[in-house]
This record gives sequence, structure tokens and C-alpha cells, in this order.
Amino acid sequence: MSIASTIQRSQVDLQDFVDWSGVECLNQNSGHSLINALKQGYRDDDGLHLESDADEQLLIYIPFTQVVKLHSILFVGPEEEGPRTVKLFANKEHMGFSNVNDYLPSDSAILSEENLKGKPIVLKYVKFQNVRSLTIFVEDNQGSAETSKVQKIILYGTTVETTNVKDLKKIEEH
Amino acid sequence: MVLESTMICIDNSEWMRNGDYSPSRFQAQTDAVNLICGAKTQSNPENTVGIMTMAGKGVRVLVTPTSDLGKILGCMHGLEVGGEMNLTAGIQVAQLALKHRQNKKQQQRIIVFAGSPIKYEKKTLEAIGRKLKKNSVALDIIDFGEEEDGKPEKLEALLSAVNNNSSSHIVHVPPGPNALSDHTYIHGRWDGGSGFAAAAAAAAAGGMSGFDFGVDPNLDPELALALRLSMEEERARQEAAAKKAAEDATNKTSLGDDESALLQQAIAMSVDNPDASQSTGIADANMSDADDQDLAIALQMSVEDSGKDLSAQTEMNKVLGDQSFMSSILASLPGVDPNDPSVKDLIASLQGQPEDKKKEDNQDNKEEKQ
Repeated sequence: MSIASTIQRSQVDLQDFVDWSGVECLNQNSGHSLINALKQGYRDDDGLHLESDADEQLLIYIPFTQVVKLHSILFVGPEEEGPRTVKLFANKEHMGFSNVNDYLPSDSAILSEENLKGKPIVLKYVKFQNVRSLTIFVEDNQGSAETSKVQKIILYGTTVETTNVKDLKKIEEH
Repeated sequence: MVLESTMICIDNSEWMRNGDYSPSRFQAQTDAVNLICGAKTQSNPENTVGIMTMAGKGVRVLVTPTSDLGKILGCMHGLEVGGEMNLTAGIQVAQLALKHRQNKKQQQRIIVFAGSPIKYEKKTLEAIGRKLKKNSVALDIIDFGEEEDGKPEKLEALLSAVNNNSSSHIVHVPPGPNALSDHTYIHGRWDGGSGFAAAAAAAAAGGMSGFDFGVDPNLDPELALALRLSMEEERARQEAAAKKAAEDATNKTSLGDDESALLQQAIAMSVDNPDASQSTGIADANMSDADDQDLAIALQMSVEDSGKDLSAQTEMNKVLGDQSFMSSILASLPGVDPNDPSVKDLIASLQGQPEDKKKEDNQDNKEEKQ
């Protein structure tokens, strides 16, 4: 138990290592874009969220400035429109909705209400050892609503090259 | 200057043999395609354009998106007219071709020439539109040729399903000589900066001077800039006016009403407090740079909405005598090409002639230019 929490504690919010110029989101509503959910400052504002457009699916592509290991991921969203089935793909560039089912996801998760309130989802760490980019596919939402809404997306992990001890931020225990 | 990959879907069905667009619908379409290819490749050297047919032997990609203009123009040679257009398959194949573009940073755009009747239901078209929007593909529709009940509505429904932030457009082109090229020339302006490349290309092809507005940007950059700004904003309004004018083409009174409404606006604007207008700041800033009164009026008019009701023509005669108002009216007339230096000359020499005669002159000038 204590070893697990030690590992948890060394994880860093990977927000600093996101390559913002390459971040993309397919099927997002232009008024409610991915930045609202991902970027510091925007994601903490409850008025701003990421919303899908034509239907309830979302395809989010996040490249990193350096290679990272991904430990866990946290989604915060509303009860009805928050994401339910989420598939993660490591190092797959430029995916589209048509080929999202052609590849096996590195990990997938079905979010519960607790997850949407702030409980992070621990991922298969072994699959995310060498991550240059992450693709998140939101397949459907909790209440089968017309559009999916995401308040916050936080990625926890470590960088591969160096782990700067000064950068380590203590994250909340859950 | 947007980095874009475009697929142009040509309609080469039997309906294209018709001659209501001279010399034939298919020829007019080919000219328009050439114009678009030129404009796209000129606006950004990394832009790619691909061509495919929707009818004929079937949905066929003639050339995959490439920036080689010679290859693109060459592939249209020897195309045959026949068969029936398959719009849904055409758009889907275009989407697939764009998906496999080499440079993934390019924005995706499909341009469809819809000349034959649309045999699909609105729902089918809307589903396709949503799929395009989901994959962030923009769609431009050129509605020409066969005029069928419900065709404009179906195409508008498709447009609204695809449209995201006004990146997609539709143009309804009525029959007439050189109508298609002119309207696609207007379409070239939708890209903002790329439109000026199209303007230069079209003007050069017509053997005219290469300056955009008859004003040398080097001599008077502020005036050129202010004119350009007003023209850009004028375009959106002009398309709406073009659509309305197409319906009222033979009804001169309606056109007159349209103009008098514009005149009313111009009068109202010059009389009223400019605070009423939202973007007066821009207009004022430009006005302070350009002392030209014509320009100021044109700018103010282009800034206002075009949703005013048609009203009586009582004040028209009063205003007709005023040359400055007439020049701004001419600039906003549908079908008149403001870039044409001969039109500019006409404005300069105008001395309050009757409105009908002036319009005839404009039509003549336009045809001369072509």
C-alpha cells in the first residue's frame, strides 16, 4: 500500500510537457475547445469546458515535448454528458474516426461517476513507458446525451530523461 | 494564405451538355475549375489540389492532391460527358482522398460542382454533412445548371450540416454567359488573401492592368488597404445580394428597390450619428487615413448589415444626381466587378444618368471584359 502511494507521489502533472502547437481535437465545438479542458487556468474555470459538436464522440491528440511515462489520467465532467468509454492510444499519429477501431488501444477504461468527480484512472503503466503522443478517443458518454462535455483532463506521469526533483508536485491522495 | 488541401468534384453527367452557360455547361465548369486551381496554388505554394469526376464512367479520382498546376490542368483534358452524378459517393471518395494527403497539417476542403438534379433525400445529405464536419472537412458547393424544385434547399441543408465557423460556402449561379467563372472568381475571394491572387490572375487574363483596385498600392497604400477592407466585407453581402438578384433577374423594379434600400442606408448613415454603427471605429480610422468621401461611404455601407427591408423609391431621384453616392452604389451592385478599371472609369465619368442606362453600361463593360 505504502509503495503504491510512493509511486503515486512521484508522478507529476504532465501539463508542462505538452506540445501545445500540435494539440488537436476532432469533432470539438469551436466555442468549447480542448484548451478549456487541458490547459492550466482554463481547466480550473468551471465555466469553460470541452464539448463535442456533431455527435458525442471526441478524438483528442496530445503530443509531448519529450518522451514521458504515463501513470494515470483524470477526467472531470458532468454526470450526464461526461465521458464513459475512453480508449487511449500511445504514439499513434493523426488518427481519424474511421481508423480508430482498426487499432487495439493501449488501454481503455469505462468511467464511473467517481472518476468524473476526481478519482484518477490508473493505467497499464507497462503500455505507456515510452509515450511521445497520446490519443484519447471518447466513444460515448454517461447518459447517452447528444454531446459529450469534459471539464478537465489531467495526465499524471514522469518524464523519461530526467526527473527534476524540484518539479515534483505533491498530488492529492485519493 | 491558409494551408489547404482541396479536392474538386466535377459533374460530368449528361446534364452538362446543355448550352445555357456558354459555350456549354461543361466548358464553363472547366474554366471555373482552372480558375480555382490557379488561385489555390498561387495563394500558398504548399497548397495541394486534386480533381475527381462524379459521373461519367463512375466516381474516379483524376489526380490526387498535388501542388503541380500543370498536372492538375492537364488531367482535365479529354474528359467525356455522360452518365449520372453520384453526389454522396463523390463526396465520400473526396474525403478519403483528403484523408490520405501527404501533409497532415493542411486543412481539408472539398469543392463540389452540383449541376445535375439531386436525387438524394435531405436527410442523407445532412448525414454526410455531419460526417464531414466531424472530420473537420470544409465544403464549398457551386449550385448551377439544372434548376429543380428543392435543389437549393437540399444543398443549403447540406451546407448548414457541414458548416463550422463559416468555413464552408455555397454559391447559386444562374445561367448566363461567363456566369460560372465570375462566380467562382467571387468564390476565390472567400479565402481572403487568396482572392487577390485570383483577381490578379483574372485581370491579367483579361489583358487589363494588374492593379487590384486601379490604385497603385505603392503610391497610396492606405487607400489601397482601406479599399481592400471594404471590398472584403462587401463580398459576403454581395453573395446574398447576388442570390436575390438571380431570382429577380428580369424584374428591374426589385433591383431598383434593392438599390434604393442601399441608398436609404447611405443617406441614413451620412445624416445620422455614426455612433449607431458598431464598427465605426474601424471606419473612422480608415476614413482619417483616406480623405476620399466615396471611400468613407463605401466603408460605412459595407459595415452595416444588409438585412434592411425594401422601401419606396421616393428619395432615389434626389440621390441619383449625387455622384459620390452612385459610385458607392455601383460598387455594391450584384454582378458588377469593382476591380474592373473600366467600371472605375465609368464611375468617374458618371453625371447622374438614369439608373437603367447605367446598369446596361455595366453589363456591357462586364461582357467586354470577358
